[in-house]
Amino acid sequence: MHSDNTLARLDRAAWEDLVARFDGRMWAVARAFGLSAADAADAVQGAWLRLVESADAIRDPDRVGAWLVTTTRNEAARLSRRSRGEVVADIEDLDGPGGATPDPAAEVVDADFGRHVWRRLNALGEPCRSLLRLYVLNPDARYSQIAIRLDLPIGSIGPTRARCMSRLRALVADGEAP
Amino acid sequence: MREEYLLAALRMGAGADPVPDAVSAASRAAFALRLPGGVAAAPVDVPVPPGARSDGLEDGGPRLRRFTASGLTIDVETSVSDGLLEVAGQIGPAPVAVASVEVRTPHMSNSRVPSRDGRFAVAGLPPGWFSVVCHRSGEPPVFTRWIHVRP
Repeated sequence: MHSDNTLARLDRAAWEDLVARFDGRMWAVARAFGLSAADAADAVQGAWLRLVESADAIRDPDRVGAWLVTTTRNEAARLSRRSRGEVVADIEDLDGPGGATPDPAAEVVDADFGRHVWRRLNALGEPCRSLLRLYVLNPDARYSQIAIRLDLPIGSIGPTRARCMSRLRALVADGEAP
Repeated sequence: MREEYLLAALRMGAGADPVPDAVSAASRAAFALRLPGGVAAAPVDVPVPPGARSDGLEDGGPRLRRFTASGLTIDVETSVSDGLLEVAGQIGPAPVAVASVEVRTPHMSNSRVPSRDGRFAVAGLPPGWFSVVCHRSGEPPVFTRWIHVRP
């Protein structure tokens, strides 16, 4: 049963508008999982294919952007687990087509919010500021390369990165508090 | 705020690692893969034979998936040989009233007339995403959800 309250009537122009608005965010989220360019392309394509199969079932067209980013994140997480050798399903576990619940936080992933986060990042001390800058601006950099650039032990890069991201998250959360 | 969202936003804010043109082109092209009025077949569990792995994986061997909708059962088995994807399967229950079975990837489509007992097979597909569509006379097409297979 179709209704006007679904994406079933989406035309090509509206589709291309969705691509223009959200493709960059979807790609950035897929790459943020550490996926290679090829795997990230698969994750983004997977999200669009979920929209292809689910358009009739999405009940809230206003939130399709968040749905696309959330679905990309889920596909990227699945591919990331598989690349680590974990056994994962080849179909995302949804409660039926259109079942992925849009994550409200996905709606803020854009360049404007990114510039806001950069201002927070620049307020961090060292080595967090330099480490995160390298990590952010060089998506395919290995920990060994970052370790050489910062003259840090390679074994410390992962834990330091996690600690620095946690501090950055806290700074951003503080900035959003009323 | 999830870490991957912060990282994604930082890269977007710096204009680092923008989405490749080929990815955006594939996203736009996905529109043509819609099947308005089609019926999505949902995956269902396949009974595991005694002694088989419960996750259904067979160490690189074929994998069987089952989908059902509109009274049809679509069994799909995949394998990768020489870097290319092979899709075989069976439509049930017999006798099947399916005029043709179409195996679609984002890049190509191959149609087969199923055998009398509903079997079909397509080889030489690029690995990645694919979906199986059953076309019936006077009925809406039934399609499996898109499945991702890489070597």
